[in-house]
Amino acid sequence: MKSNKIIEDILFEIEKHEGGMSRRNAMKFLAASPIAASVLASATTATEAHASSSNATGKIVIVGGGLAGVATAAKLTSRLSNPNITLIEPNPKSVSYQPGQTLIAAGVWQKSDIEYETANFMPKGVKWIKDSVVSFDPQNNKVKTADGTEISYDYLVVATGLMLNFGAIKGLEGEITSSGANDVVRTKVGKDGVYSIYFADGAVDTKKGIEELIAKAKAHKGPEKLQAIFTDPDTAIKCGGAPKKIMYITHDLLSKAGVRDKVELTFCPSGDKMFGVPEYNTAIFEQFKARDFKWEFKTNLVAIDTEKKVATFEKKWLEKGEYDEDLKEYTMISMSKNVEKKYDFIHITPPQKAPDVVGKSPVGSSKGWVPVVKETLQHVTYKNIFALGDVAAVPMGKTGGSARKQYNVVAENLIAVMEKQEKLPAAYDGYTVCPLITSIGTVALLEFNWTAKPAPSFPLDPTQERWIWWLLKVYALKPMTVYGMLSGRA
Amino acid sequence: MKKINLALSFAVVLVVLSGCGDKPKSDVVKYKYTPEQVYKETCLHCHGPKGEGVAEKKGPALTKQSVQELEMSLFDIKNGGLGGQSTATEHEVMEHNMKKLAEKGYDYDIKMMANYLHNTFNVAK
Repeated sequence: MKSNKIIEDILFEIEKHEGGMSRRNAMKFLAASPIAASVLASATTATEAHASSSNATGKIVIVGGGLAGVATAAKLTSRLSNPNITLIEPNPKSVSYQPGQTLIAAGVWQKSDIEYETANFMPKGVKWIKDSVVSFDPQNNKVKTADGTEISYDYLVVATGLMLNFGAIKGLEGEITSSGANDVVRTKVGKDGVYSIYFADGAVDTKKGIEELIAKAKAHKGPEKLQAIFTDPDTAIKCGGAPKKIMYITHDLLSKAGVRDKVELTFCPSGDKMFGVPEYNTAIFEQFKARDFKWEFKTNLVAIDTEKKVATFEKKWLEKGEYDEDLKEYTMISMSKNVEKKYDFIHITPPQKAPDVVGKSPVGSSKGWVPVVKETLQHVTYKNIFALGDVAAVPMGKTGGSARKQYNVVAENLIAVMEKQEKLPAAYDGYTVCPLITSIGTVALLEFNWTAKPAPSFPLDPTQERWIWWLLKVYALKPMTVYGMLSGRA
Repeated sequence: MKKINLALSFAVVLVVLSGCGDKPKSDVVKYKYTPEQVYKETCLHCHGPKGEGVAEKKGPALTKQSVQELEMSLFDIKNGGLGGQSTATEHEVMEHNMKKLAEKGYDYDIKMMANYLHNTFNVAK
């Protein structure tokens, strides 16, 4: 039974890491934590709720075998009585658990804690083609792979994920995924004070980078503080909280080493707020002030000189123009200038984009992301195509938590299309979740959706930093994702 | 296994108690004007009577975007970014203008406005 597997794995994780917590106490935690409860409950009830299977037929091709692609394959496999599913994915470790990258940088996990073999999670009966798609031909319902094979489909699911575009920053090179080849990026990132947790090897490097910063701070003399900068680019990004989480982690490790007063921590995001949900925005400002964090809004990293350790930011602001009679307001003029900042440590959240093979194809869009009706996740032009996960053009949707809601929507709606139903039954509401790590030991569980209001699953103040959410993040979410979501059950 | 079953039953009870699984109740937002009224009384000054754009006001044309692109842009404008956290809006000036318009009651439902703009002005077909 899958739910037992989830519980067993949570207990295993707790025993492995938390020597002080007995199995008995862990059980108490599991029973007392409402979110853990919901995890387990969803794992047991989800299959019963959709016990009926569909007799619809047709060849489904899923491009991309990350969490979103594999979970969709699993759900469709369980819902269709005669599934005919092909999944195209070149990376044998495509299902790696990316939310754990923050914990690797924090020294809580190892890289091996987030690595999973895709083969172990590929649903039975799914044909796995270990190659990359190089072109999409939606007019003729075909895709082509790198070895030249043309694969036709009746229905297509695009779940390729996105590219970390380090090369968009002048002075850096490379466009990579979180767990694939990354040599080009690592010629400059992962050493000499320049770090990024956005890829798994980069997270391992970041842990060392923080240790180096601590050593440097211990040796540091004089009144001037060392400078640690944390960026957030002007493109859509996966895990909007990670640029801040790594800042909290760095703060915590510096504090524990007794050198926090030697280092100034500054958050430099492209935008002008901490959070789009006002309640969470206020809470994060308070957390920043309590930790003596600095911040400079509308300050976007555009270039870096890794030799001289100088980062260049484009700083934007609005200036009051003439009075506009029509608007009955002063017009605003957008201004910008480049500013240079010296750094001792910089955490880079890279600009992100849809893979060109998707973005510049007929299934992409002017901005690259696959244009879908954001509720049904159906392609706006091609009704037999759906997209989900990081590559889909939906607001706020690039997290594992979003994908966990989206794959059910895609599976139900795709089956409706296969059954020639007129109305698509399932709708995504923009739900996403940011378990904001505020120290090693506390997390604020920030859940929200497109209404830009808090959407807490539980009757607890979501703005509070809590130990139980830390336990959830470190022990429960991974088993829930790996054994619940990847099997299409939770 | 006995313990696990015990934990599971606790879990299910707690889920029922906390009402988990219910959708958060969304407030019904009432708007003072229809999308057409909002457009004709405000947007038109900078985007033109036919959505063709007004160069001297730096208002871009709205005639060539798909309904999905319009919806994403309006989401970006009203929420000050598409990411939900600290990533910048692509419509810096319009975000500011929209705040001022909303203060005056010229607010709208994003989907309804995107549909109105697309149905009324789109020439891309």
